[in-house]
Amino acid sequence: MSEKEMGLEEALDDLERIVEELEDGKKSLEESLDLYEKGTKLVRLCQARLESAEQRIESLTGELPPNLD
Amino acid sequence: MRAAQTGEFALTEMHSALVALKYRVYPDEYILTQIFTVTDLNERIKDRLENDPRLHDLWARGEISNYVNHRSGHRYFTLKDRDSQISCVLFKNSGARLAFELKDGQNVLVYGDVAVYRPQGRVQLMARGIRLDEGLGFRHLQLEAVKKKLAGEGLFGLERKRELPKYPERIGIVTSPQGAALRDVLRIIGAYPARIILSPAQVQGDGAEESIALAIRALRGRADVVIVCRGGGSTEDLWCFNSEIVARAIFECDSPVISAVGHETDVTIADFVADVRAPTPTAAAEMAVPDIDALQTYLVQAQVRMARALWSGLERKRERLDYLERSFSAQKMYALASEMRQRLDWLSERLGDAQKEKLTESWRRLELAQGRLAAVGPRATLLRGYAIARSPRGLVLNAEDVRPGEVVEVILAKGRILAKVLECNSDAEDSR
Repeated sequence: MSEKEMGLEEALDDLERIVEELEDGKKSLEESLDLYEKGTKLVRLCQARLESAEQRIESLTGELPPNLD
Repeated sequence: MRAAQTGEFALTEMHSALVALKYRVYPDEYILTQIFTVTDLNERIKDRLENDPRLHDLWARGEISNYVNHRSGHRYFTLKDRDSQISCVLFKNSGARLAFELKDGQNVLVYGDVAVYRPQGRVQLMARGIRLDEGLGFRHLQLEAVKKKLAGEGLFGLERKRELPKYPERIGIVTSPQGAALRDVLRIIGAYPARIILSPAQVQGDGAEESIALAIRALRGRADVVIVCRGGGSTEDLWCFNSEIVARAIFECDSPVISAVGHETDVTIADFVADVRAPTPTAAAEMAVPDIDALQTYLVQAQVRMARALWSGLERKRERLDYLERSFSAQKMYALASEMRQRLDWLSERLGDAQKEKLTESWRRLELAQGRLAAVGPRATLLRGYAIARSPRGLVLNAEDVRPGEVVEVILAKGRILAKVLECNSDAEDSR
């Protein structure tokens, strides 16, 4: 699954696993660096998700609330 | 309570009766026959009304509002129906026999007499007894029957309650597009990044039940969580949420349902069937989405934890020569470190003061770790007396990497030398 399609939940789960693996300290340096980079990407992905949030409202009948802020 | 009941008045009818009375007393206001003082006038009205047997021992039906339980022990309230209202007072001695406590919004039958409070010329109903209006009684019986039936079918079973998704991407909302409930929900969801799918429904009046059930069904396959909500209203207004078809629609919904109907004290059948019942629409929205601030903080913390884990991993390796083999990685580490500092700066600008405080500790650790990283860099290591040996094939890490007679380059803290290999002994004690 590409990062774009990755849901927030999945990204956060992956992130949590990576943080734990890193903290476990059993990986070699190279692997740790890879994990670190992967983790950082995930953090950015999530942050981008959270910041991109313009409220998107659709209505099944087309009827939307009046004066949306 | 005396049974002498002269007829049950709707408030409006009573008012019309009073108005009619007035005009009969003073048929022509333009003929100056007598001048009253206000006191006399009120006295006369009082006499007239209070001596009319039709305004005694009567029942009036309406809803209580502006209820005040005065410290004198007398109770004051306004009895109203759709179009009209009248002041009521229940004196202490009559109130003592009351079987329930009055409150605003209650539908009641008031038994008593019309009286005029002369100082204010106010017509009021002096209550001698109050009963809860049985008008809702039949519906409540019906409600209990539906509840029992649905419970029997397992619609309220706790074992079938589903967990709400932690990070829903599609939030379905069943409510009126015009209602305050929707505004509340949208305000709480705020910046949380989800698609919001509104499934409009009529949430009171004729046809509301069908409309709500249809709107819930329309969300099938389109939402990760569904909020069914409506703002506060009278028991009648909320009644559609007690209907069987709404209950079944919620039960059959393919995603977890949060119900939020009316205020905290309003509980409907929809609440029993829903996976989660929220006291208000605002609370429902809070349950549906994670706290975005907490999430931001978590992300920053994850970044800091990763960095910390990486540095402490390095610390453990500080005395290992094989670190030098990865001098490339060391450069990468420096780059990452400086990038991370910028990143922390950037992040901390976006955090509140409380969160900043939490970060300060992480910051200190990062700085410390960076100092240590510098200490394990190749140059620092060379200064401690280590050297790097290189053959044309790359770094020499094991005795097998070179053969006797071969020339190797030895890099020192300052300068380098070329050396010839005399012997390769793999069995020598690992000095690393």
